[in-house]
Amino acid sequence: MTPALQVRDLTTEIELTRSLVHAVGNVDLSIEAGETVGLVGESGSGKSMLALSVLGLLPGGGRIVDGSVCLDGRELVGLSEPEMRKIRGDAVAMIFQDSQSSLNPTKTIGEQVAEPVRLHRGASKATANNRALEVLELVGMPRPKERLDDFPHQLSGGLRQRVMIAIALACEPRVLLADEPTTALDVTIQAQILALLDDLRSRLGMATLLVTHDMGVVAGRTKRINVMYAGRIVETAPTAELFSAMRHPYTQALLGSIPRLDSDRSKALASVPGIPPDLTDPPPGCRFAARCPRATGQCREHEPPLTGDDRGHLFACWHPVDGPITRPPELTVGETITESFLQDTRPSDGDHGAHLLEVTGAVREYPVTAGAILQRRVASVKAVSDISLHLDTGETLGLVGESGCGKTTLGKLIVGIEKPDAGRIALEGREVFKLRGGRLRRARRDLQMMFQDPYASLDPRMRVAAILREPLAIQGIGSRREQEARVVHLLEEVGLPRNALERYPHEFSGGQRQRIGLARTLMLEPRVIVADEPVSALDVSIRSQVLNLMKRLQAEREMASVVISHDLAVVKYLADRIGVMYLGKLVELGSGDDIYLRPTHPYTDALIKTIPLPDPAAERAKTGPGIRGQLPSPVHPPSGCRFRTRCPRARDVCGEQEPPLRTFGPGHLAACHFPLRPAQSAKDARP
Amino acid sequence: MPDSTRPLADIQPGLAGTVSVPPTAPEGGDVHVTASGWKLALREFLDNRLAVVGFAVIVFFVLFCFVGPLVYHTNQSLTNPLITDLHPGGAHPLGTDENGFDELGRIMKGGQTALEIGFFSAFIATVVGTLYGAISGLAGGIVDGIMMRILDVFLSIPLLFIVLVLATKYHSTVLDESAIIGAYTWLIPARLVRGEVLTLRVRDFVSAARVMGSGRGRLVYRHLIPNALSVVIVNITFQVADAIIILAFLGFLGFGLQYPATSWGDMLGNAQQYVSSGYWWLVYPVGGCLVAVVLAANLIGDALRDALDVRIRRR
Amino acid sequence: MIGYVLRRLAVAVIVVIGIAIFTFLLLHWLQPSPVYAVLGPKAQPAAVAVWNRQHGYDRSELAQMISYLGKLAHLNFGYSYKLDQSVGALFNENAGRSAYLTGAALVLSLIVAMPLGIWQAVKRNSVGDYAATTLNFVLYSMPSFFLGLILIQIFALDLNIFPPTVSDSITTAGQAFTHPLQLTLPILTLAGINIASFSRYMRSSALDNLAQDYIRLARAKGLSERAVLFRHLLRNACLPMITLTGLSIPTLLAGNLLIEVLFNFPGLGLLFYNALGNSDYNILLAYTVLGGVLTVLGNLAADVAVTVADPRVRLA
Repeated sequence: MTPALQVRDLTTEIELTRSLVHAVGNVDLSIEAGETVGLVGESGSGKSMLALSVLGLLPGGGRIVDGSVCLDGRELVGLSEPEMRKIRGDAVAMIFQDSQSSLNPTKTIGEQVAEPVRLHRGASKATANNRALEVLELVGMPRPKERLDDFPHQLSGGLRQRVMIAIALACEPRVLLADEPTTALDVTIQAQILALLDDLRSRLGMATLLVTHDMGVVAGRTKRINVMYAGRIVETAPTAELFSAMRHPYTQALLGSIPRLDSDRSKALASVPGIPPDLTDPPPGCRFAARCPRATGQCREHEPPLTGDDRGHLFACWHPVDGPITRPPELTVGETITESFLQDTRPSDGDHGAHLLEVTGAVREYPVTAGAILQRRVASVKAVSDISLHLDTGETLGLVGESGCGKTTLGKLIVGIEKPDAGRIALEGREVFKLRGGRLRRARRDLQMMFQDPYASLDPRMRVAAILREPLAIQGIGSRREQEARVVHLLEEVGLPRNALERYPHEFSGGQRQRIGLARTLMLEPRVIVADEPVSALDVSIRSQVLNLMKRLQAEREMASVVISHDLAVVKYLADRIGVMYLGKLVELGSGDDIYLRPTHPYTDALIKTIPLPDPAAERAKTGPGIRGQLPSPVHPPSGCRFRTRCPRARDVCGEQEPPLRTFGPGHLAACHFPLRPAQSAKDARP
Repeated sequence: MPDSTRPLADIQPGLAGTVSVPPTAPEGGDVHVTASGWKLALREFLDNRLAVVGFAVIVFFVLFCFVGPLVYHTNQSLTNPLITDLHPGGAHPLGTDENGFDELGRIMKGGQTALEIGFFSAFIATVVGTLYGAISGLAGGIVDGIMMRILDVFLSIPLLFIVLVLATKYHSTVLDESAIIGAYTWLIPARLVRGEVLTLRVRDFVSAARVMGSGRGRLVYRHLIPNALSVVIVNITFQVADAIIILAFLGFLGFGLQYPATSWGDMLGNAQQYVSSGYWWLVYPVGGCLVAVVLAANLIGDALRDALDVRIRRR
Repeated sequence: MIGYVLRRLAVAVIVVIGIAIFTFLLLHWLQPSPVYAVLGPKAQPAAVAVWNRQHGYDRSELAQMISYLGKLAHLNFGYSYKLDQSVGALFNENAGRSAYLTGAALVLSLIVAMPLGIWQAVKRNSVGDYAATTLNFVLYSMPSFFLGLILIQIFALDLNIFPPTVSDSITTAGQAFTHPLQLTLPILTLAGINIASFSRYMRSSALDNLAQDYIRLARAKGLSERAVLFRHLLRNACLPMITLTGLSIPTLLAGNLLIEVLFNFPGLGLLFYNALGNSDYNILLAYTVLGGVLTVLGNLAADVAVTVADPRVRLA
């Protein structure tokens, strides 16, 4: 049988003003009708360029240099532009990552979905509109008839992504190219969209190419996976085999580097040192050689061909591995650092009888204003609503939740970037942000923050040396010479070379910048660190480097930290206790095992079930898309329990009464009227 | 400013309590030594050939106007009725004007004042505008609201009218003209800087400095000003271009410098009569010079903006 | 929508009052009373005092300002002692001609600049784009009257197609319309400068939009480049032009002034120019305030137009 899409020996280059990017090289790929094939790679690996090459939609300067792309046996490379146009949007359709910018802001949803039908089917306006309605229904758009005249900005991200899928499906394509279709979405919405794509594929019999960086996304939804690295396919195998018996060291390291919910917290994550090669000047041999622990001279000089057995498991490696990492590397932790650089500055650790950090009834609301001059306050966004929690020395608390749940705001309240509208935030029983002047400055040393965006958190006009010295300079600690010595020391601690000192932030990769950010955070030896999505902007292989580093430093320094992330696996790997947030509320709090093995709040349970796991068997075993519906507006949160609008167990009382936090085990709290397991005592408890 | 550190290679990390041995190869990967931000911007700028030409044009005219008179001596103070309105040629390569002044020498003299007024008014506008914008952006709240409404009022007045009204009284010296042109153009940097300060204020690196305990002064001097500066610098070139155009308007409408001082704008003031009497050499050479300088300044400004954009994209 | 317009109008009124106060104070500071323009620079102090008392210029500045604002509210723009007419009547007489000149130039520049900018963006870095960009740059860097002079030299003096100045016989906008040759050069000059800045803006707006993902999606649907351009790019790229046009009113008024002076075309600009020379206080004041009102109205109209044209800013 002819595959629906067959790519052979495809090479694509992009010519820039000063250089030539070898984006895709000698790639083979085939997809049968009705099957989904995964294409996995990190950013810059050429996976999107491969998808765009199929459609002939390369960016300016890009061209297919060599190879063939066949659609049902018909060669597409070399087709004239008008002929290619007949294929685009008809036989081959594509879904892009960012639904916000991919939909025309000034055209209605209906028009945009109907457009390809009118173009390729020559349908009349009325027929095309009917078809649009049909496809919107197909992709699960609620009340599609009312949505036809809406504009993209009136829809949520998840619904916009459904519109994009509807556009792609409007002409019943043979091949669907889905380029990171769920990356911009929250995990609960991601599960919905993935389930939808899978359902549509089986119903419509499309060949689907699922392009993503997330091993979890492809694990349960694909028949075969291609792993791409630096413009080359390095390994391709049936999904289950790739996960259980990979041969390429990159695939092995990639899978080993992903923290999982069942990862052993005491072990390090496998990590790939260094960064991917520059595709304008790729190395002559194996492109992974520079980061590969098994590399030899042969690897550096000769590029390995893609070979393998007859069952379709191919890999490009001279010294292949045999299956996944069985024993995760030990976490190398140095001795606990007891002596302090800032010896004289600590207030005595007397008996204050309080927790190290205590947040009590914190509330933060952002006003929504109207009017040009008077700025009347018409409503407010309830970012953080009455949250209480505490943290002890040496402990790590994780905060998880979808975007808009208030986790970042809570982090900012703790370090004093935001001020609470009500409630108190106390360090060792002292409300530090009520202090003024020099005393406030001194108190701030103990509460430091690591930011999410490694590009925005370092001043682009300062050299690294000045960035790292700044905390000490602000606090007036030590002589210039001592400050500089400490800068050098911490730079080594976070694994950066000394020549980094004289460089500006833009000269570093994202992972290196996060290391600099971490070093700056540690500079003042804080008692508490708040890390806001510390790895979410990083590629998978870099992510584990930073996670290992954070883990090691945490262990050595006995700092308390608050780790904020949308990724439960990341939080579980780093944190001793986890708080789950939903729409400004803390819905469940407990140890990692409490949350993972004994989830009590229906939201926690659903959140765990929707996380895509890099494990094909577990993914296939999942049923249903998890949580239904969309996140309600934080301006008008639902009455009573805020989760009730999406909760399968909700009853009338949930809308009338707000559930208090109740105890379900030692240190395990949840706020639900109908919890998944019985409460320990009838008494309400505060954390 | 960023560069305040001396090389650290010679300093030993000799501290008590340090345990971890530095790894032989840095775990975070090597840092590829690439060009610095300003070098990147410079490279981008030099790549733009038009901008390099623009820069050369400005340099040429600065030399022409300020050094030229040292080489090419002409009488620019006493009128000579015997040699008025001479065609170009012989002793007067660009002819003479109605007062018998050598036109080439006069273009040099008028260029001096034009360039001075251009740069000086740009300076005034930039300083005033930057301060206004920075104060408004930093203060925020009600102060910002009021200052912006005031700016709205100013932006809604066709300020050329105000400038002309002012020019009826004050136009005879370089300082006067620079000041009234500056009064016309300071609004633009004010808006730009305020916008920039507002976006910078909520950037993570500013939050980071606040978490470290940085006071307001340090935030402003170490973070906000250095980062807002590039916008201001780019704008200066456009300010110079605009100022010279407005100078031409003033000259044309009869509000020139006190005779015998002159500027390119003043020299173009009577151009209409010259054109109808056929004295083309009194119009096009000086007009060409003026357009060339304004064009060059605009080209440089555009290229600088693009170059800095590149740097921002890569950072 | 109506509520929004009303609220914006209220703000506009406040801004206009601010403009009137500022302009009044400035002019008052430059020249406390028009008496010397009326009685001559060598008038006797006694006569000056009498005249000032008769016309209310002996009152406190605050009182004068309040009475001025009161008159403005009743659309009374004061009296030109030099021309011995009410300013309102003078405006009435001249406004039509100026509006015709400026309006025609604005329409012409939009008609030329919008397609030109889009064409340049689509054909970016082609010879045509470079040529157009260069020409735009030169025009943009040119004082408008200098462009006018060059046009006069070529089309009036050398080729003798159009008259170098507007004939005195053209006294109404209607006549200007029926004698198109008379105003061709002024309109071309004023339009030329605007085309330069509009098309530069249009080009960069179109380039911004071309880089957006929705253009890529439109191509992925199989649309031809032409269809991508007309169905998707055009409307989005033109949206910022609405705001730009609204904001261009002060520039247009300045250009109008210079062109009317250059071509000796009697309109509001020339009236203002003559008033500058005569220190005709009330005309200067009234026209500046009028300019402010037009600018504010222009911005308001543009904002309202954007809310109609751009679904993203439909208002509460």
